[in-house]
Amino acid sequence: MIDNLNRFVFANIDSLLNGLWVTVYVCFWGLLLAVALGLVMCLVRLYVPVLRYVAIAYIEFCRATPILVQLLWVNYVWPDLFGFPSSVVGAGIIALALQSSGYLAETFRSGIEGLPKGHVEAGVALGMGPVQIFIRIVLPQVALVMAPSLINQIAVIIKSSTLISVIAIPDLMYEALRIVNQWFEPIEILTSVGLLYFILIFAISMTANQLAQFFNRKLGLVA
Amino acid sequence: MLDRLKDSLDLSVFWEYRVILLSGFGQNLSIFLLAGILATAIAFLIGAARLNRNWFIRTGALGYSEFFRNTPEYVLLVWVYYIMPILLTNLLKTRFDLSPYAAAVLALGVAYSGFMAETVRAGLLSVPKGHVEAALALGMSRRAILFRIVMPQAVRRMLPEALNQYVSLFKATSIVSLIAVEDIMYRVSMVNVDQMRPLPLYTGAALFYCLIIITASQIIQRLTNGWRVRGWA
Repeated sequence: MIDNLNRFVFANIDSLLNGLWVTVYVCFWGLLLAVALGLVMCLVRLYVPVLRYVAIAYIEFCRATPILVQLLWVNYVWPDLFGFPSSVVGAGIIALALQSSGYLAETFRSGIEGLPKGHVEAGVALGMGPVQIFIRIVLPQVALVMAPSLINQIAVIIKSSTLISVIAIPDLMYEALRIVNQWFEPIEILTSVGLLYFILIFAISMTANQLAQFFNRKLGLVA
Repeated sequence: MLDRLKDSLDLSVFWEYRVILLSGFGQNLSIFLLAGILATAIAFLIGAARLNRNWFIRTGALGYSEFFRNTPEYVLLVWVYYIMPILLTNLLKTRFDLSPYAAAVLALGVAYSGFMAETVRAGLLSVPKGHVEAALALGMSRRAILFRIVMPQAVRRMLPEALNQYVSLFKATSIVSLIAVEDIMYRVSMVNVDQMRPLPLYTGAALFYCLIIITASQIIQRLTNGWRVRGWA
């Protein structure tokens, strides 16, 4: 057992760390894109009546399609249909972002709709413009309420990112499966990588929980 | 681009391969059903153990649900498929094979039992203590209290959340194609190898899932709203 741990896990630590780095890279850009897309879609849904149903269709589509199906769809269909992404990493980032942006758009919406109306009215009474009201009154409060959900979404993205190995992005899962298929000794390597994923995701969702409890206690916010 | 879009939405290839694709979808449905039953059964055990008086049982159950809630389903799936047969072979001293189908049911069932255990726990907690005390005062046995006072109320409270979990579980069944269960995504890629037409095939698969999940969650929302109005859930 220790022998195998040395042979399969520690001997391959470089490629595993490279894989972890790819996972982090894809998740980071996926999250960033997801927040941007989610915010845009949420704002369109709330404030642009003409495009409201487009935004709803987008959000529902993203939420209702499994991540694997989206991943394969983006990877095989988008380059022909839209001319991008030109690499598998791009496809992975876009697929993760699609999935999360649907959820984030709904989270942002519930945050904005949960805001007391009086705050916006007070802004209007003080002569602030709509953009100023959004940036200086709505956004800071929504950001605070949303922080725990956003951190939770990081955990969800990392969870889904295990699937990007399917389209041959060399992430942590891909490296683990490569080593498994090379030696046919799955126990040590898969268990270590699985535990690594668990620790990573557990730490992130614990942070989100603690933050939510802290905000609830100190600021009376309920996300 | 327009003819590409037209090609993507040309679903005739689905009609041509309808039997193969639908039987693949049947695999998804049966895995979903079995994994759902497994997840529900484990969830009731773990959810009840989360409220046990014994600290070790309580903490063990918490560890179980946290572990399976925070481990990616794909990792669990691969772990069960590759490692379970080896461990069981060593343990039982006889050759033990695990079919991809059984591995999929086991992995998904266990993965979602973690989420559902929390739902069960919340449902059990939502029953007011006074009800149990009243039943005790009436001289009902522990068993009778559980099945006649606590469960009927707790299950109603759990239902809306549990139904959402089932929808997530159904979405997750798409990953079983990765360990070569011949489900709908597996069949789609097989047809793609045959026909080399990824545009309509993958677009159609995405739309198909989208349609089914949206319909299911709309029905669930209607139902649970009705239950809430009638004070049933």
